[in-house]
Amino acid sequence: MSDKFKVLYYVNQFFGQVGGEDKAGMSPEHRPGKVGPAMGFEGALKGEGEVVGTIICGDNYFNENKEESLKFILNTVKETSPDVVVAGPAFNAGRYGMACGELAKAVAAELKIPVVTGMYVENPGVDVCKDKAIVVSTADSAAGMRKALPAMAAIASKLAKGIELDEPEKEGYIPQGIRKTLFTEKRGSQRAVEMLIARFKGEEFETEMPMPVFDQVDPAPAIKDLSKATIAVCTSGGIVPEGNPDGIQSASAQKWGKYDVSGMNGLNAPDFYSTHGGYDTAYANENPNRVVPLDLLKDFEKEGIIGKVHDWFYTTTGTGTSVSNAQKFGTEIGKELLNAGVDGVILTST
Amino acid sequence: MKLEIGRIHIKDIQFGDSTFVEDGVLTVDKAGLIASLKEDERIKDVQVDIARPGEKVRIIPVKDVIEPRVKVEGTGAGFPGVTSKTTQCGQGRTHVLYGAAVVTVGDIVGFQEGVIDMWGEGAKWTPFSKTYNVTVDIQVVEGLEVHTHEETVRLAGLRAAEFIGQAGKEVEPDEVLTYELGGMFEETAKYPNLPKVLYVEMMITQGLLHDTYIYGVNAQTILPSVMHPNEELDNAVISGNCVAACDKITTYQHQNNSVILDLYAQHGKELNFTGVIMVPEHTTLSGKLRVADYTVKLAKMLGADGVIVSEEGYGNPDSDLLMICKKLEDAKIKTVLITDECAGRDGLSQPLADTAAEAVAVVSTGNVSHVVTLPPAEKVIGNPESIAVLAGGWKGAVLEDGTMMCELNAVIGATSEIGYHNVTCRLY
Amino acid sequence: MREMIITNNPLVVEKYSERVLFIDGSVEQVLIKVRDMVHRKHGLISHPLPASLRVLFSPYRSVIIGRNNGDINPLQVEIVENSILKYKKHMDVREVDKENNEDYQMIDLTLLESALKDEQVNSMLSGY
Repeated sequence: MSDKFKVLYYVNQFFGQVGGEDKAGMSPEHRPGKVGPAMGFEGALKGEGEVVGTIICGDNYFNENKEESLKFILNTVKETSPDVVVAGPAFNAGRYGMACGELAKAVAAELKIPVVTGMYVENPGVDVCKDKAIVVSTADSAAGMRKALPAMAAIASKLAKGIELDEPEKEGYIPQGIRKTLFTEKRGSQRAVEMLIARFKGEEFETEMPMPVFDQVDPAPAIKDLSKATIAVCTSGGIVPEGNPDGIQSASAQKWGKYDVSGMNGLNAPDFYSTHGGYDTAYANENPNRVVPLDLLKDFEKEGIIGKVHDWFYTTTGTGTSVSNAQKFGTEIGKELLNAGVDGVILTST
Repeated sequence: MKLEIGRIHIKDIQFGDSTFVEDGVLTVDKAGLIASLKEDERIKDVQVDIARPGEKVRIIPVKDVIEPRVKVEGTGAGFPGVTSKTTQCGQGRTHVLYGAAVVTVGDIVGFQEGVIDMWGEGAKWTPFSKTYNVTVDIQVVEGLEVHTHEETVRLAGLRAAEFIGQAGKEVEPDEVLTYELGGMFEETAKYPNLPKVLYVEMMITQGLLHDTYIYGVNAQTILPSVMHPNEELDNAVISGNCVAACDKITTYQHQNNSVILDLYAQHGKELNFTGVIMVPEHTTLSGKLRVADYTVKLAKMLGADGVIVSEEGYGNPDSDLLMICKKLEDAKIKTVLITDECAGRDGLSQPLADTAAEAVAVVSTGNVSHVVTLPPAEKVIGNPESIAVLAGGWKGAVLEDGTMMCELNAVIGATSEIGYHNVTCRLY
Repeated sequence: MREMIITNNPLVVEKYSERVLFIDGSVEQVLIKVRDMVHRKHGLISHPLPASLRVLFSPYRSVIIGRNNGDINPLQVEIVENSILKYKKHMDVREVDKENNEDYQMIDLTLLESALKDEQVNSMLSGY
């Protein structure tokens, strides 16, 4: 028996060298040995550990068949009984990040085996697992591979040996959000005096209790006369026409869609349904107006309460969608609405 | 104003027939101390004991901690306005039995906790495990009204500290520390290029068991007041606060206020320490607003470039802290806050419910809900039943062998918001 | 009536019966009632939380509410909402200390009275 610790690796179809988007639907398979980044990773372990197997799974397959995928992965982990599971790095790839995040969460929580992954800080997969697994902070593209692997390897090595990790900044991982109570060399009052002096000198200082930062949006002025206003609906609840013609993702959306509803008095099932993967869509599918209240708006239009319902409604999926994508969608949709002379928008979330 | 603090280093305590210090050993006349305290006819009985660092002793429920001292030169003997006539303190010379403390124990209400463990895990979390403690457990006569009861115990602790402090009167101190600060204009003329810094000290002033006194005046009744730092270092401020064990300012911590000491250490070097503003914490919102405005106005009048604000307590004072911070920063006065936080047992909660974007520089003195495991004590001074109160917060807090788990909020001085202790929180 | 005390403390009810809204329930229910009143444009006179954790564990709480201001005060809304969050954060993992009911009733009453005294000063200053 080798005294090296054992690592099980997870990659998507692309990094697993199976193929690109065309292979994103592949179901998970387990290959003995190391594939893709697992090779560089093992090198960075400097002989202390070895990669005993690699799981490869298509990003779409994972996100659309989460339960089956996780079942396969958890079973493989049980069979190979590694000391550490390593996934990614996924950089800023949303679907890959979600897969890494979900499996990291499941393996760490259910099997109590440490997991290391790597992502760009804005990847939606980070929030899925960062309190359970260690997420190394990476660049937003695969150009950061060379830097990410040694950091992931160093942390995996410590976890395998049961060594407590140092501060997140020192180790290079995204803080797990745990406020640890610690002893310090200097008492609190001295730290306060030094912090004040640093402020006077314009030097960098670090607050010990960062305030949460909220993105503030000033509300638009109220509509003066609703009876003359054109109102649009926009949702992140994943409502799409039957067949999802634009292929809006069920999670980690990469795009948004708009659909003409000018001739309708409401959204009828099953002509419309929700493709959203993050909530129980049974009631939305039963009556899509529950998410996109076109029926009531049309009534309002008839009664003259509002001037007009905009001809199009706008839709995307909110779950796991990165902040940067959401900002991009919002800006694009906003521009269209403005050009179309829409006065007000009802945003529905789920 | 110039104050000399003569420190007589105390290395042990014992009981004897008279009270004196010899070779760093403090001998306390136990019978004499008890008799002296019993001159107050409201006191029925007194138990006096000793707890040394390292002994497997638990003191509970602690009411206050006081440093024994004696005035040897100048006015301001005793605790002016409380145990003696009001005279000016903060000048002359005071001898301190450094390393010794009087710890008062006594239930006024059933839910007091306040624990000091002299050994092991618990000792790490309280600064008063390192002092040689004379514990004074007060039982009052039957039928005493609760405010009078609190006052009796409060005064007994101060009088005990005075009684023991007398031992330092004729002793040559091991070291003499000098604290000198002239008038504001004088100091500013001396250090024209140094930023002027004020210390804003918030105090719990909300009623029974939640009070602070300055020269004997209940601070609930004051507007924010400017004080010379030496006054606080020389017994002007005493604690009547029996709750908030982890983050209250004991009388001992007023006498040795670490913010004042650390600002003094930088005075004339990096900054110009201009004074202290004592700020009451009210329960009403209008009281809080009035105090915040008044404090910021004083800071502006005194030309402050920077301010350190320390909080006392947790809960409603958090609102005062952030209001004062916001208004100071709006007035372009650089502000550093010292406060504790609650991040939950697991440290996973958002530490603050109240937030202010202006609070850019905050010192955290620890998570009040951090759980510590305390092994059983060989000896308990005080009321063993209080241990049940302390541990009674949740199921399974006491294990079969007597080991118990409690949150830091029950440990005296654990998360001191004047930054007296060396604890913090860091994001992992 | 200018001010009202929302309380679940029988001792307060006994002493201030003419200006009390008694909540036969928990501290959380008291706080929620206070929140509802603040949302309905009543002024928040006293802070909903005590100044220490031990008293946070008390089974009793009294909060003073003012008259209808005709306007929602956003600072007060924020204070009461945050107070509920903070209260729940602690009590979700703790039990209310029921062993010392009488002492807690007494302390709640004295803290309330010091708030009333403080408010009197303010009322005189502001002339109503």
